[in-house]
Amino acid sequence: MLIEFRDIHKAFGSKKILRGLSMGVGKKEVFFIIGTSGVGKSVTIKHLIGLLRIDEGEIHFDGKRIDNLSEKHFYPIRKRIGMVFQHATLFDSMSLRENVALPLRKHQGMRPNQALGKADELLERVHMQDFIHSAPAALSDGMRKRAAIARTLAMEPQIVLFDEPTTGLDPVNARRIDRLIRELSDELGVTSIVVSHDLTSIFSIADRISFIYQGKAYKSGTRQEFECCDDAIVRQFISGDSHGPLETPGF
Amino acid sequence: MLGDRTISAAGRGTLFAWRELGGMTILAGQVLRALLPPRMDAPELLRNMYRMGNRSLPIIALTAFFVGGIMVIQAGVLVKQLNAAGLVGWGAGYAIFREVGPMLIALMFSGRVGSNNTAELATMTVTEQLDGLRALAIDPIPYLVVPRVVAMTVCLLCLTVLGNLIALYGGAFFAMVLLDLEFSTLYYSLVDNIHWLDFVHGAVKAAVFGASIAMTSCYFGISVRGGAVGVGKAVNAAVVAAAISIVMLDFLLTAVLP
Repeated sequence: MLIEFRDIHKAFGSKKILRGLSMGVGKKEVFFIIGTSGVGKSVTIKHLIGLLRIDEGEIHFDGKRIDNLSEKHFYPIRKRIGMVFQHATLFDSMSLRENVALPLRKHQGMRPNQALGKADELLERVHMQDFIHSAPAALSDGMRKRAAIARTLAMEPQIVLFDEPTTGLDPVNARRIDRLIRELSDELGVTSIVVSHDLTSIFSIADRISFIYQGKAYKSGTRQEFECCDDAIVRQFISGDSHGPLETPGF
Repeated sequence: MLGDRTISAAGRGTLFAWRELGGMTILAGQVLRALLPPRMDAPELLRNMYRMGNRSLPIIALTAFFVGGIMVIQAGVLVKQLNAAGLVGWGAGYAIFREVGPMLIALMFSGRVGSNNTAELATMTVTEQLDGLRALAIDPIPYLVVPRVVAMTVCLLCLTVLGNLIALYGGAFFAMVLLDLEFSTLYYSLVDNIHWLDFVHGAVKAAVFGASIAMTSCYFGISVRGGAVGVGKAVNAAVVAAAISIVMLDFLLTAVLP
């Protein structure tokens, strides 16, 4: 396995979010983490790049333990594991091409003009070539997310973490994002870990899926295994039925 | 009962003040570490210097011009009573260079640039843009904070030097118009009596005030908690903390500097 979570525990104050979560992600997989809102999906992936620290357990990346690294030692890991946030997190003070050029300038030693040229190519890859001079605030959510993917690709990461990439998007833009994620894996060999509730995405592009419930990986398997699963809790999540054994935080 | 509450409130206030002071000290340490040797983003530094320095110039110039006028009007009564017109230029210059210029310009700068800086960083923090930077393997301290600290320190120093000159010009203008003094009287009163240390005294104060405004505004910006309400509270706290630090540092520097 490229990434392994071993018996992860995480609490915010008295609220226990993860209670012994264990799962693994293989190379070049499109791996989906699913579950109800507030169950700790985004929290789980933020641990991988040190934006949050686990309370107990171990995280291994490429055979090395990384959960105990200092902030300084996490920076090399972050060059290998990119993240596309739910709200894109593009920098408002820069145009799209400047946003994408930033990691190129900082990490690949490119001169500003060279970085901007490469940024234009990356934006073209996500079909944003007509908006390279636009400010992020002037664009729709879907456009911002595509630009954020281009910015993450600028790092040439081995793994990309997607936090709810299709949430809030219309179906057409959502499927475009799905296609991009699949292409990253098939064409560039990138491993993708996707946090999502979007069942269409899950059942169209996932290689494997892990369903988080009550702080643990309740079920992990391929999408075919999930489609055929007869577990009542998993079935209720997939069918979206409001009645059933599935307990959701706040209800 | 009232005594308990008062003691409790005082304890909470003290703990809060020490926690914030501790946080600012840690941030100052991180900034210093990033400056030795200097590691900062040049485009980010230039962008900040432009918007913090250039764009503050009109408001600083306007304020400084009238501050010079106020100095002369206040001195005017005394000058007439004592028949001491020969001291007006020196008096105005001395007060402007050493005290009024650095302090008033710093307070203006804090209101315009410091509050804006806190609001921008706080918004970036609550919208996860700072986490976005860290996820791109870019340390926010050398990339975001250090250029702002350098820009604010340099810009406030330059604006104070320029503002002082404009204040002197404003003082001379109002002295000629309101007190019927000749320009040459003011000029020679200033250049014959003012000491270069008076200028250095004010310049040192300006640089220290600039660094102080930068540290407080950056600290409250990146340590914000909560959403829009948190941003509002952070801006408020930064402006108050900057004003207090300017006055306290002014007291200390006035006592220590020659």
